[in-house]
Amino acid sequence: MGSELLSGFRMLDLADEKGALGSKIFADMGADVIKVEPPQGCSTRRIPPFLDDLPDPDRSLYFIAYQAGKRSVTLNLGSPDGRALLEDLVRKSDFLLESFPVGYMESLGLGYDRLTELNPRIIHTSVTPFGDTGPGRNYKAADIVSWAAGGPMFLMGDEGRPPLEMALPQAGLHAGAEAAVASLLAHYSREIEGQGQRVVIDMQACVLWTLMNEQAMPILHGDYIRRTGMYYTATGTRRRLVYACKDGYISTVLAGGSGVGAISMKGLVEWMAARGFAADWMVAKDWTTWVPGILMKATEQDRDEIADLEERVQRFFNTMTKREIYAEALKRRILLAPVATAADIADDEQLKARNYFVRVERAAPGRTQRRGLGRAFEDRRRTAGPFARNRRDLGGAESRDEALRA
Amino acid sequence: MRRYALEGIHVLDFSWVGVGPITTKYLADNGAEVIRVESLARPDILRLAPPWKDAKPGIDTSQFFASFNTSKRSITLDLGKPRARELVLKLLPWADIVAESFTPKALRKWELDYEHLRALKPDLIMLSTCMQGQTGPNALYPGFGQLMAALSGYYHISGYNPGEPPCPPYGAYTDFIAPRFAACALLAALDYRRRTGRGQYIDMSQYEAALHNLAPALVDYFASGRVAGPAGNHSERYAPHGAYRCADLDGHERWLALAVESEDEWRGMLAAMGNPPADSRFATMAARMENRAALDQFVGALVRERDADELTVALQAAGVAAYPVQNCVDIHRDDNLEAFGFWHWLDHKVTGPSPYEGLAYRMSRTPGELRAPGPALGQHNDEVFGEMLGLDAAEIARLKEERVIF
Repeated sequence: MGSELLSGFRMLDLADEKGALGSKIFADMGADVIKVEPPQGCSTRRIPPFLDDLPDPDRSLYFIAYQAGKRSVTLNLGSPDGRALLEDLVRKSDFLLESFPVGYMESLGLGYDRLTELNPRIIHTSVTPFGDTGPGRNYKAADIVSWAAGGPMFLMGDEGRPPLEMALPQAGLHAGAEAAVASLLAHYSREIEGQGQRVVIDMQACVLWTLMNEQAMPILHGDYIRRTGMYYTATGTRRRLVYACKDGYISTVLAGGSGVGAISMKGLVEWMAARGFAADWMVAKDWTTWVPGILMKATEQDRDEIADLEERVQRFFNTMTKREIYAEALKRRILLAPVATAADIADDEQLKARNYFVRVERAAPGRTQRRGLGRAFEDRRRTAGPFARNRRDLGGAESRDEALRA
Repeated sequence: MRRYALEGIHVLDFSWVGVGPITTKYLADNGAEVIRVESLARPDILRLAPPWKDAKPGIDTSQFFASFNTSKRSITLDLGKPRARELVLKLLPWADIVAESFTPKALRKWELDYEHLRALKPDLIMLSTCMQGQTGPNALYPGFGQLMAALSGYYHISGYNPGEPPCPPYGAYTDFIAPRFAACALLAALDYRRRTGRGQYIDMSQYEAALHNLAPALVDYFASGRVAGPAGNHSERYAPHGAYRCADLDGHERWLALAVESEDEWRGMLAAMGNPPADSRFATMAARMENRAALDQFVGALVRERDADELTVALQAAGVAAYPVQNCVDIHRDDNLEAFGFWHWLDHKVTGPSPYEGLAYRMSRTPGELRAPGPALGQHNDEVFGEMLGLDAAEIARLKEERVIF
């Protein structure tokens, strides 16, 4: 049973990894998403890892993860016939998402002016690395380059060591999801007024939006934030975010405050006291006002307490596994999370209880069953990503009609 | 013709902190009327979080709050009081959307949950956003984005090497993933209601949304049992790939991010770096992958005395993806963000004029904009209770005295 939220609407997806999550969101909400791939296949088919480590256009797990629920056709936009077929598709579609270099669509004679001639309702969304007007409009951006340009990379890593990207690149995903939001804003307006529009996504700006407002620090506090490894330092006091345990790491923020913070600290200290790990001052402490280095600067006494607390907590967590610690934290309402791996997440009771992971059938090749990612919406329908060898070739009239079928 | 995409849409917003407010900001910046319902008993913790005007904490001095709540109004109600509930119900007919991020228990207690509200307004669209969803064993477990980033797997894939402590992404990372999913769901729900007359309830788990940005690692685990871990800046797709230290600028460290995917790009990179003598260890992509540590040293030595901005221009001219690793000062003087019109200067009644993060998307026909900085606490009490609900000044004064309105 598929989602009906966007059923009846069609998106042509010509984007690479800078848009894939956006069209995936559309597919998850019931839109008919047609990936329009070049003859050699979308570049996301070549992104590792691969199923059984065999590089193949149908075995990219990146592709499988983000192209699920979409249909696929191949078109050679370099040929007049290919462009004419795309024009036919545009007439029968509601959205066109692409991430070509700025000016490429125009160079094909398929710029927004032409698209809107073909179909005034079309919403043409372009994901660009650096916008479409500035000095960098023709710049290339691999994911790490956008991560650097937008600001979060500078803040990730240890002092004195290189800034870091995550092992799974993120910038294109932020841009893709933003493209989905902006396309839907245009959609709402179009459904009332009958007119589509051009939407341009700036990937650098999408990434910048993950900075948690640290952009304002230089202006309001007079300095910029440095990267400090596993510590939080925005208020001038080092607060540790990560603790080792028997089989990995957990993350917690040792701070009280009214509400959940004080409950968390009280729960943790009681637990530590029961096991002989808490100092007397910790047991006696009123945690409801203790938030140094989180919401306020620390005094000398705060700093001493932070040092003692963090050291004792580290010794305490050294005695247990992630799973043991998290299970008790859930009971005692301690603000804490395991530094979870993919294996931990796959085994998480909460996700299981909500049927988050959905098994997806893949017809061929390779194994027949995969698990896809679950819903962030009320949608249970999933199909695996389209296969390269099952793609419809729009060169033949028969398959073309099928692809264009309403 | 409508000026904004969401003109005429009304949102009653009980949410707080990150996910809810960023979600409704998409709506507010596009013309929807959004009223934040706040309580002094539970002020939005962003109101108390840095950065603050002149680094001084205060209920109305946080740009963190002001930035995430642009274009909205603020009223204050003590929802624990029956009279406050009456006022909420008076506003209900006006609202197309109700958004909230209490724990699943709170609204049921006040009889303001979806079942109660739907009985009064059958086509209501309601968004509940919380950490782990409204159902399941951990539904009531509190948390925030920093912990969610650990729980959702991001801490584990962030770091220099397996075995070293993680270097997490900065801040409450998942707070900047989930809003795009929530905004998509709301926008699609609005259009669905327009077509069918039916409203709906959206149960948004920050955790579940966040996992979409980890999808390839999860699919990889399900398919192959492989658990993705930290990898420094190494990539299976690009070599070189990383951040390389350049010449300092006015005593501040500068790094250049770059990624090379093809032989053409490799030759372009060498040319832009002054054509150093050929080195057989780096002759092909396979060789560069094989000798990554040496390659990083090689590139590092080539750029160490160079200016990161000049190198960016030279590398991009040679077709290589590169950009400086920007800090929070750099992003304010970035020509590309400037050309996109990203920064919006807004004059906040308490914090004064300062630059706000603007929109990462641009719409040609109904452009969104930041219409005002986030409101002061209760700034629009008289406007909403007086002009909209028709309460006279004496009654508003009495409600304030009774602490129904703060």
